[in-house]
Amino acid sequence: MEESPSKEQTPDLKSMLKKLSAGASYRRMLAAREQGKPICVASAAVPVEVLYAMDVYPVFPESLAAIAAGIRKAEEFFEAAREKGFSNSVCSYTRCGLGIAWTQKSAFGPIPEPDLFITDVSVCCLHVTWWAYLEDHFKKPTFYMDMPATDDPWDPDYVAYYEEQIRAMVRFIEENTSSRLSMEKLKEAVRNSDLAGLYWKKILELRQDRPSPVSFRSLAGEILPLVTALGDKDCADFYWALYESYKQQASQGYCPAQGGERFRLIWNGIPIWHHLQVITYFEEKGANFVWEPYTALSWGNKTPSGRLDAENPFHTLAEKYTNVLTNMPLERRFGYFDQAIRDYKVDGLVMFSNRSCRPQSIGQDEVVEMVRDAHGLPVLIFEGDQADAEGFSMQEAKTRIDGFLEVLEGRKRS
Amino acid sequence: MQKQTRSEVLERFRQGFLGRHQSCAEWKNKGRGVIGCFYGLVPREVIHAAGLLPVQLTEERDGRLEEKAGLLPFLCGMSKNITGQIYEGRYDYLDGILVGAVCDTNRHVLDIWAHRKVVPYLRLLRTPSTANPAAWSFYAADLRRLAEELGRMGGQRVTEQRLWESIGLYNENRSLMEKFRHSRQALGISAEDALYVFASSLVMPVEEHNSLLRSLLEGPAQAPGSASGTPGVLVSAMNLNMALDLIRLVEEYGGQVVADDLSHSARYGLSKIALEGEPFLALAKGYLRRVPTPGIYSFQERAEDLAEQMRLSGARGLIYLVQLYCDAFAMEYAILKERFDLWGIPHMRLEAEDNPASLQQLNVRVQSFLESLV
Ligand code: SF4
Ligand code: SF4
Repeated sequence: MEESPSKEQTPDLKSMLKKLSAGASYRRMLAAREQGKPICVASAAVPVEVLYAMDVYPVFPESLAAIAAGIRKAEEFFEAAREKGFSNSVCSYTRCGLGIAWTQKSAFGPIPEPDLFITDVSVCCLHVTWWAYLEDHFKKPTFYMDMPATDDPWDPDYVAYYEEQIRAMVRFIEENTSSRLSMEKLKEAVRNSDLAGLYWKKILELRQDRPSPVSFRSLAGEILPLVTALGDKDCADFYWALYESYKQQASQGYCPAQGGERFRLIWNGIPIWHHLQVITYFEEKGANFVWEPYTALSWGNKTPSGRLDAENPFHTLAEKYTNVLTNMPLERRFGYFDQAIRDYKVDGLVMFSNRSCRPQSIGQDEVVEMVRDAHGLPVLIFEGDQADAEGFSMQEAKTRIDGFLEVLEGRKRS
Repeated sequence: MQKQTRSEVLERFRQGFLGRHQSCAEWKNKGRGVIGCFYGLVPREVIHAAGLLPVQLTEERDGRLEEKAGLLPFLCGMSKNITGQIYEGRYDYLDGILVGAVCDTNRHVLDIWAHRKVVPYLRLLRTPSTANPAAWSFYAADLRRLAEELGRMGGQRVTEQRLWESIGLYNENRSLMEKFRHSRQALGISAEDALYVFASSLVMPVEEHNSLLRSLLEGPAQAPGSASGTPGVLVSAMNLNMALDLIRLVEEYGGQVVADDLSHSARYGLSKIALEGEPFLALAKGYLRRVPTPGIYSFQERAEDLAEQMRLSGARGLIYLVQLYCDAFAMEYAILKERFDLWGIPHMRLEAEDNPASLQQLNVRVQSFLESLV
């Protein structure tokens, strides 16, 4: 099955992105509140398609934290967390997200009081403690999409348990709001999500071209609807239009790296939201990121077939959401790098050792070791935090990038 | 057998903990298996029922160990220390390690251990974060699989009867520890000795620990040694060496640790396993959301328990000691703090590393806190 959502239209990417921008989502949330729709504070790996189908408006504190960090407005939230006794060793998304919850402020304006809290338990333990705190502090109905720690996320019993969790989440929403699930709407939402994921994957595949027409800097912004708006037809339309636009750029030989694509790189980790210029700096120096686990493995259609089966919505969503990279053994994670290095003709790796996100950072060194053994590629390791700029120096980063690019240059010459 | 004096019994607890590597190696030399437990969410009952010795992985003070681990700088000293011990061969007697996820660090350090194949058998428990019929039956199924694997390893099939017997022994241990917790002041046992009573429970065969506890509790009561003006505090800590340093620091500044809340998430004295139904299901019900662990245990219950301990022991303040980079308990503190503030419980958080100098740097804070309690 392959279809474009609205092939007859000429894609107007700008206006589509505008509809899905963080600011537009904020305005939609206010409208949802006025219409009496429930607002739910959700963690990033909750099956958002179900929320969409049930007309529950999700607010994602991690996305809000990333946005606040991106526009350098997170400090006041960190300060609020410090005042409340939260140590800096707690993930910056959590501290910033809680700051947003206490102050009910966001980059776009005040956040209306939510009705529900829903979290997944798959990605990290903080997703449990953080929401447990929200439940405890704000006293709202809270649901935990239970996904126990595992190193075998493909086990059918495990997937079945999670499938039941999705059904339980539906019951929870029905018990606590006036929303009711329509299976037709859910199937439609899954169809839209599938198309969004499909076109996202196609965009990523365009990066196998030499030069790759896609800038990681741009993708870091364009990924937002894939986190927050799955289920929505606008979202599927947007990714189709985005794909068409990148395809056209590819045919014209466009390359985001200035002076042509001299090096093709992998970025491992969450983007450094407070200093996305780091990526731009690479691009200015002729280095182009062509693959990232964050864009390729964390979002989109993560089922074994790479598609979602709208006729089996609960099962397909269970397969998708249980497929969590950090729940896989390191050898398996290396396998993805190994494949990407071959498919995308990679020259080097940039690893972001993120002090906030332990699940992503633990084991990174071992994967690097495996990559070095198998491919002998140069690796640059940055230490820092995805949202908290404390201790980060752009000047230092530039010096290290320059040194790394010199090594790559040397290899090219030899 | 001649009755032991109280100080002899206390010395056996101390040696039981400090000499753990040696006694485990001896156990192993007798042809019996040893399984390491990475924290209190691992149900030791199943290990015991398979004829194996469950031993909690605990920190050991030796500055070189953290470096040896080669883990990321922003990870807690506990994970580094234990990893360092494993790499150094101090846990070579282990037949396997079970990990129950308490935090992202203890869960994911397993990935590295698995990659480096540090033990023949390494297993992550699939512990749900919820407690409801679906979660209990999912967890019980995982425990049944675990029992089969361990049964093969230990050469003793985990029958229902054996499992009930093991549950009974650990329940007895929980009751005795609870009793000890309430009577340690009346027995005149120092905070440092009390720490070893708890610590040894993590590494000793349960039968031996129960028998020592019974001897300890049988002895006559003594007048508590505290002077009336001495401010008593409750110390909550994860890291046992750091807790010891803190006990000494408090005493140095004229305070007294009258109650403790020591754990590796193993404040397991709180919850007994109900002896009803099918044993794996009973274990699931006894463990899920019943072991005080940040996020998967009611904050209200946890705060109430601490407040109750303070009331019973007469503690006037609470010192919550967090190991640097332990995000799990740093977060728990911040959440409990709301209640401590509301209830007017004097409290203080200390964040330090596992070396005496790190805590010593905070001595002025400890001193001022104690002064504020007088
Ligand atoms: S620890 Fe990682 S996965 Fe968890 S909230 Fe923070 S950034 Fe997200
Ligand atoms: S609970 Fe704290 S000390 Fe223990 S492994 Fe986790 S982060 Fe480290």
